[in-house]
Amino acid sequence: MQWLLDFFNQGGPVLYGILAACLLLWSLILERLWFFYLDLPRSNRRLAEQWRQRSNFDSWTARKIRAAIISRQRQRSQTYLSAIATLIAICPLLGLLGTVTGMVSVFDVLAVTGTGNARAMASGISQATIPTMAGLVVALTGLYFRARFQRLSERGVQQLTDLLVTD
Amino acid sequence: MKAMFIAIAAMFLGAFAHADEARLQQLLQQTVDYQSNEAQLDKARQAAFRSDLAEQQRLLQQAQAKLAAERQRANELKQAFDDNEIALTEKEEALRMQVGNLGEMFGVVRQVANDLQTVLDDSLTKVEVPERRADLAILAEAKELPDLQQLQNLWHTLLQEMTINGQISAFNAEVIGVDGKPVARDVVRIGTFNALTSDGYLAYDSELQQLRELVRQPAVAEQAASYLASSAAVAPLALDPSRGALLTMTLDSPDLAERIEQGAEVGYIIIALGIIGLLLAGWRLLVLLSVGSKLARQQKQPDQPSEDNPLGRILTVHQNLPHNIDSEVLEARMDEAVLRELPALERGQSIIKLFAGIAPLLGLLGTVTGMIATFQAITNFGTGDPKLMAAGISQALITTVLGLIVAIPLLLAHNWVASRSKRLIQVLDEQSAGLMAEVLERQGRG
Repeated sequence: MQWLLDFFNQGGPVLYGILAACLLLWSLILERLWFFYLDLPRSNRRLAEQWRQRSNFDSWTARKIRAAIISRQRQRSQTYLSAIATLIAICPLLGLLGTVTGMVSVFDVLAVTGTGNARAMASGISQATIPTMAGLVVALTGLYFRARFQRLSERGVQQLTDLLVTD
Repeated sequence: MKAMFIAIAAMFLGAFAHADEARLQQLLQQTVDYQSNEAQLDKARQAAFRSDLAEQQRLLQQAQAKLAAERQRANELKQAFDDNEIALTEKEEALRMQVGNLGEMFGVVRQVANDLQTVLDDSLTKVEVPERRADLAILAEAKELPDLQQLQNLWHTLLQEMTINGQISAFNAEVIGVDGKPVARDVVRIGTFNALTSDGYLAYDSELQQLRELVRQPAVAEQAASYLASSAAVAPLALDPSRGALLTMTLDSPDLAERIEQGAEVGYIIIALGIIGLLLAGWRLLVLLSVGSKLARQQKQPDQPSEDNPLGRILTVHQNLPHNIDSEVLEARMDEAVLRELPALERGQSIIKLFAGIAPLLGLLGTVTGMIATFQAITNFGTGDPKLMAAGISQALITTVLGLIVAIPLLLAHNWVASRSKRLIQVLDEQSAGLMAEVLERQGRG
């Protein structure tokens, strides 16, 4: 626990922003995992069940209703995907922000103590490097899920399309 | 002598040759008398001269004796001097041997006095105890061994400083205010670290040897007042262990407004961009949320289309058409209606995205102009003083920071707005026909 506190103290204020982005990202990822592996198959089956109780499958209205059902399901399966993508894009930017604020504090120290005192600059330098690393780590771990969810969403919609028989 | 008398007689004879016989006789008599007188005088003089000679010889003997005595004395004195010289050398050697350790101590005393003087001049205690027992300036400059009294004074001064170092003391002193005028204040000194008044921290000016009010107080300055007011045995207080160096450093570091000022024109443009972008995003979000809630209500009652939302307007299309219309015509009319609704939903998005993209680029622009200023400073003044480069470097860094600070929320806002409007558009584009079909089926016109 202590090392975590030290880590955040060294990383400076931007690291809390990255922490918030990371928490948000991972709660969205967990929600999506739950949705794709448990919720989506069940709701696909239920929708197919309802569809099969129709009297006709091939009229103009039937085709439009089917399209609307598929569209609604696609919407559900794509919820938060763009939010996840944006968060992944923002994490390295936050890291960069940390780098620059860290450099600002390094130059503040330089202006006071001159270039001789490397130890005084160390806090600014860890403020510059740690957020960059943290931002990259968060973004890289998120990247896999972003691609995976894209595929899962396409597959889920395809599954529903197959289930909603047209004849 | 005789020749003279003869000469004189001849003169008389020559001059008075034609004078009387008697007078001649008288003259002769006188001449004889004079001659005998002269002879007597001569004799007396010779006798005097002879007696003088004896006297002179006696004096000479006396002087010679004196000279000999003085020579003797000179020899004796020289001997004594030489003896003394030898004795002096011996004594000096003995002195040097005996001073030995004391000489080292003299060096130490001088050094300690010198160091202590520097320490005391920089120490907060100088305000409270301006006069010390030891005259350190004299001790530090001394060319000879200090006496016992001086040594004791030095010792007492050292002890006094040590004792004061550990004390928290309250006293009244003149403090130079922000306006430069001295004011008498109640001051609390915490060891040699910091001095406080109820207004906050004080700085010690070692040149004036007086306390000075800070132009700006650090963030923890309220703690000082509560510390002074507190009567508890233990109270929290933030101290500057570097005796004021950190304090002045934090005060020299610019606050938020100064930071923004460092960004110069580019910084202001970025901030303006961010504010406009966020306002735009807020407005779009409000519009989309209200449209979305109306739309959700409409989705629940598709058979009662209302004109206040896009979906309702699309659904009313078929009401205005003849009942037995061909489904393809109906679809085409609906597509038209959907297309009419789209621009209102998509409005503003591209500008928000543009701003989110431009902000970091402007930051980069500021960085480059800042670097240009920095290199200009280097060209003019060389690299010797980093403070001359500070303005350019500050601009370079601050604009980048501002660009990122503006871009990140704008990106999030754009994502929010875009996903909202995409959802609404999907509903209109892909689901409105389905909703209408449901309505038609329920009305039995499948």
